[in-house]
Parts: sequence; structure tokens; C-alpha cells
Amino acid sequence: MKRRCFAILAASLACTLSHGEVTDAVRKKTEGACAACHGPAGAKPTMPGAPKLAGQQYEYLVQTLEAFRSGSRESPIMGAMAKPLTDADIRSMARYYSELPGLQTKY
Amino acid sequence: MRLVLLAAGFAMTFAAVAGDPPAAAAGNAGAGKDKSRMCAGCHGINDYRIAYPEVYAVPRIGGQDAAYIAKSLEAYRSGARKHVAMQAMAAQLTDQDIADIAAFYAEGGAK
Repeated sequence: MKRRCFAILAASLACTLSHGEVTDAVRKKTEGACAACHGPAGAKPTMPGAPKLAGQQYEYLVQTLEAFRSGSRESPIMGAMAKPLTDADIRSMARYYSELPGLQTKY
Repeated sequence: MRLVLLAAGFAMTFAAVAGDPPAAAAGNAGAGKDKSRMCAGCHGINDYRIAYPEVYAVPRIGGQDAAYIAKSLEAYRSGARKHVAMQAMAAQLTDQDIADIAAFYAEGGAK
């Protein structure tokens, strides 16, 4: 029984992590490197042509950062930015931006 | 004198970098609304995923920066950015269509 409880706890922890936990380190990183072009809190791009990120959907952010990291989506800037990121970094950043108010589905 | 010229040069360079890119065509949000019907099939559904050619989470674009939308559509049209559905959509668009659609989607989003 105890073992089963532990297994459930471990599974739920893994589940939480896989959905991206916003760590302080990631928050700091996003407010530095990402904000330089995407603006503070990803809401007001300062570099022409850079997208807003605030409010973007989580899964899109994850798949986009993965695509930049693998090179399947080409961008000299974002490729270089994404290269050193771990899977956990990517999920955490995606979680951070997806939870901010911003982009909406428009019909 | 030389210093002033240098400073002016710097200021102009910075302004060129910091300012918006020159708009090829001015976008009309009203016209863009009509042209956005085919976009709405996927982008109009929250958290929508398309399944072809692989599962792909469709981004929210309401309130997105107009310059980014225009740049993305141009990249899909030229083939520089790849996605089967988006390349097919963008292939049909003129520069004016792209500007109008970008203007339409740039309006709105949470402040």
C-alpha cells in the first residue's frame, strides 16, 4: 500500500514536471534574453517582426521552441537561443508565457 | 562638427533599427476580416490541433503583432517557413491580402 502511494505520488510529480513548472531561473531568463526582442512579459515586441508570446498556447510554444532547437524551423536568432535549452527549460518557458494575459483566439 | 554628424548618424541608425519595418502595403482590418474566413477554420478554435501532416498545435493569433503575421505569411508563401497547410493557404495571397489579414488579427487580444 505504501509503495503504491509512493508510486502514485511519483507519477503525479512527473506529470506536473512534464507540464512545465515555472522556476525562478526560467523567469529570470525569460525576462532577460527573451524580453530583449519579445518585450517585457512577451507582450510588446521591441524587435520588428518578433511575435508577442504572452497568452500563446502552451503546446504551440513547446513545439516551436523544439523546432528552433532541432533546426526544423530555421531562424539564426531563435536557433541560437533554443540550442542550449533542455526539455524542462522549454516546458517551463512555454508555461510561463502561456499563463500571461495576451493573445486570444479570434474568430 | 564631425561629432555632431556622427551622433546624427548613430541616431538615424538606431531609429531605423528600432522603428517598424517599412510597410509594403497598408493593411485594412475590415477587408482583412473578410479574407480571414479561411484562417478561422483552424485559428478560430481555441487550442485546436491539426492532424496532418503531423499533430500540430495551432497558435492563437488574435492580437498578434501585424509585422510578425505578415512576415510569417510571406515566409510560408515563399516556402522559407514550412507547413503543408499554411504554405497552401499563403500561396493564394497577394501582398495586399497579407497586409489586410495582418491588420485584422493585430486588433484585439487582452491588453
